Amino acid sequence: MKILLKKVLVADTNSSFDNSIKDILIDNGKIISIKDNITDNADKIIETELTVSPGWIDSFSHFCDPGFEFKETIETGAAAAIAGGFTQVFVLPNTQPIVQSKSQVEYIVQKSKSLGVTIHPLGAVTKNIEGKDLAEMYDMHASGAIAFSDGLLPVQIPGLFLKALQYVKAFDGVLIQMPIDNSIGTHGLINEGIISTQLGLPGIPAIAEEIMIKRDIELVRYTKSKLHLTGISTEKSIELITAAKAEGLQISCSVTPYHLFYCDEDLQDYDTNLKVNPPLRSKADMLALRKAVMSGTIDCIASHHIPQNWDNKTCEFEYAKNGMIGLETSFAVVNHILPDLSTNQLIKLFSTNARNVFQIKSATIEEGANAELTLFNRNKNTLLSKENIKSKSFNSAFINKELKGKVIGIINKGQLFLN
Amino acid sequence: MRLSTKHLLGIKHLNKEDIQLILSTASNFKDVLQRPVKKVPSLRDVTIVNLFYENSTRTRMSFELAERRLSADTLNFTLSSSSAAKGETLLDTVNNILSMKVDMVVMRHSASGAPHFLAKHIPAAIVNAGDGINEHPTQALLDAFSMQEKFGHLEGLKVAIIGDIMHSRVALSDIYLLKKMGAEIVVAGPPTLIPKYITEALNVRVEYNVKKALQWCDVANVLRIQLERQNQPLFSSLREYSLAYGINRKLLESLGKEITIMHPGPINRGVELDSDVADGPFSIILNQVENGVAVRMAVLYLLANRDN
Repeated sequence: MKILLKKVLVADTNSSFDNSIKDILIDNGKIISIKDNITDNADKIIETELTVSPGWIDSFSHFCDPGFEFKETIETGAAAAIAGGFTQVFVLPNTQPIVQSKSQVEYIVQKSKSLGVTIHPLGAVTKNIEGKDLAEMYDMHASGAIAFSDGLLPVQIPGLFLKALQYVKAFDGVLIQMPIDNSIGTHGLINEGIISTQLGLPGIPAIAEEIMIKRDIELVRYTKSKLHLTGISTEKSIELITAAKAEGLQISCSVTPYHLFYCDEDLQDYDTNLKVNPPLRSKADMLALRKAVMSGTIDCIASHHIPQNWDNKTCEFEYAKNGMIGLETSFAVVNHILPDLSTNQLIKLFSTNARNVFQIKSATIEEGANAELTLFNRNKNTLLSKENIKSKSFNSAFINKELKGKVIGIINKGQLFLN
Repeated sequence: MRLSTKHLLGIKHLNKEDIQLILSTASNFKDVLQRPVKKVPSLRDVTIVNLFYENSTRTRMSFELAERRLSADTLNFTLSSSSAAKGETLLDTVNNILSMKVDMVVMRHSASGAPHFLAKHIPAAIVNAGDGINEHPTQALLDAFSMQEKFGHLEGLKVAIIGDIMHSRVALSDIYLLKKMGAEIVVAGPPTLIPKYITEALNVRVEYNVKKALQWCDVANVLRIQLERQNQPLFSSLREYSLAYGINRKLLESLGKEITIMHPGPINRGVELDSDVADGPFSIILNQVENGVAVRMAVLYLLANRDN
């Protein structure tokens, strides 16, 4: 298939064409030529005003397949990822069965082959995600697991996490941890603070996250391993990570779009779509996270796309399950609240930083390179409605919210997908 | 006069005028309850369902009696003998009941925010009879009614709320109400049972020493230790709790002043309150129960909007 992009803005600091308006011709999955004016015939010519960047990567999505196909399947999750502009997605191991062996890893790798987005399984760190014994990470790595995480149930025992950090050094692996100490605020439902007190909801103190980050930083200092902290939510967490990075430790981090957009003050109405883990923190935390994204302290945006079916959200707040879908709105949410973010910085957050952290081949926009591209427009609007959601679940607090920033489509694996 | 809200989800959503209206209406109903014929036709043809997802004796009986005194038709629902025990969701249960043409729902539920959830999904007026650790608005109203009855005013009254503040919906509703009416509040109890941000969130003073709180106050509202709501150890033993925070006659006598004792019930006798205090001359605990019926009549009457 021949695709011709007309008069597009190139956003790729690694490319000699960065920040210039060019025509790009793609044939059979390769970038054939980049010129001021290409007049060749093509199967598809795109003349929409757009910016083109290396394909985007999401490092923390739950596709629930196998086991919970009533919430999401690999196919519906992939469709949501494509609609969100992602060419590569990491999926959580919290499935049934859990992704903890070669065969589970291969199931996802195989299924992903026929889809427009590349899906990377995250292997479990511990057997059955019970936090007791190490899972077969070496074998999973050899079969295609991109990194390792216990996903929604972070490893609690420090001694075990230390061994896990050491273990993956054999193949230069990365662990992903969502930092929450479950012994603090065990029965909490939202951020502990003024709002939780006023709403009569049990709280999860910020310290539950911060103490885990402190601990993990110590473990990384000891093991000299690579750790990616995902879904960080407090101001203090940012301070801790900034200091650890300054010290030269191989620690990186992600935030979710919804922690940048919402805070606990938005929970006055007990909206179950805003029941997430880690919880929405205080307004001061939210503003600190935005600042850290602007300054580059935060390496990546991770959607924390956690689908929940209708029944799991249409019930009493206490009984509602945690999580929000996010792949389809990740870019628009970040672009909307941070209009002053440079396009360079945006592409780092959505693509290049994750490629560096997880050692994924770059997708530079040069002649002769593979075409793995995301097409977007920062000035057009996105309006997610129940009817146009690609995910199988609808648990989003962004439905019917007009957001500035629109994903036009992706080019990946020789195919073009347009929204 | 009308309330500013359609539901009574919590004191948080009421304004001072609403509270005054409920209290003065309750006073009228209290007079009615002294008559030989205690029944009025105010809510004839109004159907009210009492949905009790959590055990209750006092509150359920009080609501039921209030409904009957107002001539409403009532339906009773308790968790153990219902389809909810078979796994039916709250929304399904309520929609089924509403199909039978019910006008009002009185609900007690163990999850904070459950009545707010219902209010978003069904058209009936909802009265919160206690939700999780959030609010118990009719209890706060009857507490205020009882204090006003005793002291003649709420403004400037010094109220100590003592015990398990963290797991008490009565504490939160009392604080919202008394603050709105100009009373002063101190909360006292073990630090593990007092929310960390309570001063910032609710503008109340915290005292860990019960005796100091008692010396300061006019009224002590002593709360139940909510053993059923604690899923982790928050104090070492009931014995130690009683030694450090329990209220007994000797302690009251050492204050050198008279204070009024209240308790929302049921009492853990010998834990938070000794029998000789609970049954003593300064206790208005049974007045609270009596006033509960009048206050609930007022709430149901005002929410039913039958004044014209």
